[in-house]
Amino acid sequence: MTGVLERPAVTRGSSPPARRTTVSVVADDVLPLPGASLEPDDAEVGRRFAAGDEQALVLAYQRWSGQVHGMAVRAFGPGPDAEDVTQQVFVSAWTGRTGYRPESGPLPAWLVGVCRHKIADTWAKRDRQRRLAEAAAADAETRPAPAARPLDAAVADRVLLLDELERIDQPQRGIIELAFFEDLTHAQIATRTGLPLGTVKSHIRRTLERLRSRLEVDGAAALHA
Amino acid sequence: MPQHCTPEDLALAALGEPLTGADAAHLDGCAACTAEVASLRRSVEALAVPEFSAHGPAVAPPAHVWTAIAAATGVTATPEGSARVVPEEPARTVEVVPLRPRRSRLLLAAAAAGVVGVGIGAGAVVLGDRDDEETTVAVAAAQLDPLGENRASGEAEVVERPDGSRVLRLDLDADAPEEGYLEVWLIDPDVVGMVSVGVVSAGTEELELPADLDVDAFPIVDVSVEPLDGDPSHSGVSVARGQLA
Repeated sequence: MTGVLERPAVTRGSSPPARRTTVSVVADDVLPLPGASLEPDDAEVGRRFAAGDEQALVLAYQRWSGQVHGMAVRAFGPGPDAEDVTQQVFVSAWTGRTGYRPESGPLPAWLVGVCRHKIADTWAKRDRQRRLAEAAAADAETRPAPAARPLDAAVADRVLLLDELERIDQPQRGIIELAFFEDLTHAQIATRTGLPLGTVKSHIRRTLERLRSRLEVDGAAALHA
Repeated sequence: MPQHCTPEDLALAALGEPLTGADAAHLDGCAACTAEVASLRRSVEALAVPEFSAHGPAVAPPAHVWTAIAAATGVTATPEGSARVVPEEPARTVEVVPLRPRRSRLLLAAAAAGVVGVGIGAGAVVLGDRDDEETTVAVAAAQLDPLGENRASGEAEVVERPDGSRVLRLDLDADAPEEGYLEVWLIDPDVVGMVSVGVVSAGTEELELPADLDVDAFPIVDVSVEPLDGDPSHSGVSVARGQLA
């Protein structure tokens, strides 16, 4: 997920909050909703969330539902689909909260990652429904099914690739997320993370190779769907 | 064949980063390197989409979203009342309504107004403007006409280089926006999907097109004014447009 660039050395350090301001991607940029400034800081909310403190879910919703819903609305427009995605993000983040490890990144970045999954899943679901409908229509009119839309492959790719991203360790995952989701150049990523330029470049190369392999192995079916 | 680009540089090219002169020149003419970039680019194109960016405008969800979450999770905690936590503010929502719906409406309105369909000069025209014996071929062109009250206009051409790579060559006559910058897009006929081609200013510019982009599927050339708001999607404010033919 975006913003989980902390490396083990940093995590074990004595002052993670200060360090985080240089490596976190999302946490410090989030526009909190009104009333969000009360009590615990973001890191504290993250720890309590992981520990199952119900109040932390409320606080997380207060602070980051606007950002999550903004993404959902960008993908689906305002309305029930976007609201459904936002709801799913928080419900699934809460029920899957043991999967959130505060030491590996800020909670809002994790929520944003969950949101990407939900958006990709919803796109894929819609795509299936549309193809079913098209096939049914084609059957009804006994004419050939319309050519697959060019987006089909990308829709399936996204679900696959987000899954693969999850499996990538830090700092590689954070680096590629900065490139994909923040549109940073490798030089900017090096500046942001404090990693050497050459390291950033070779991580990018290996990650893109890894994603390509995943598509070659599991994505072929999507191409011919 | 001169020395190939490094694997790392090809990865950067797949991410859309410009290479240095020598590497860029090599990539231009090398089928193997170009193919490598294209194969790495598939995941970039799938994931580097505006919808996945975390930096769009925030939109407060309506209050019933929290009600549903509370019901699904069994969480009853509501400090200070969740009505204040989740404000229903129509005005705010309008202000930050993101670009997909807004731009679709705008674009569709523009399309309905007969803006598209003014393409010129179809077919292949040998231009022969590159060094040496290299030739480039114009495969499609469009006249860009102003939209709304703008006076921007120009011409766009999709030009194929000898190695098969393509550029969008833009000759744009436009005022610099008071705020923000100009961005060029290729848009599909349904005005739903679009591909950002790059940032431009007035004058003649060449923008490289993604290797496997199907230009026929995105025949509308659109120039928009983008605010410097960090939101990578289309602002909905187009100043000139035309259709490739």
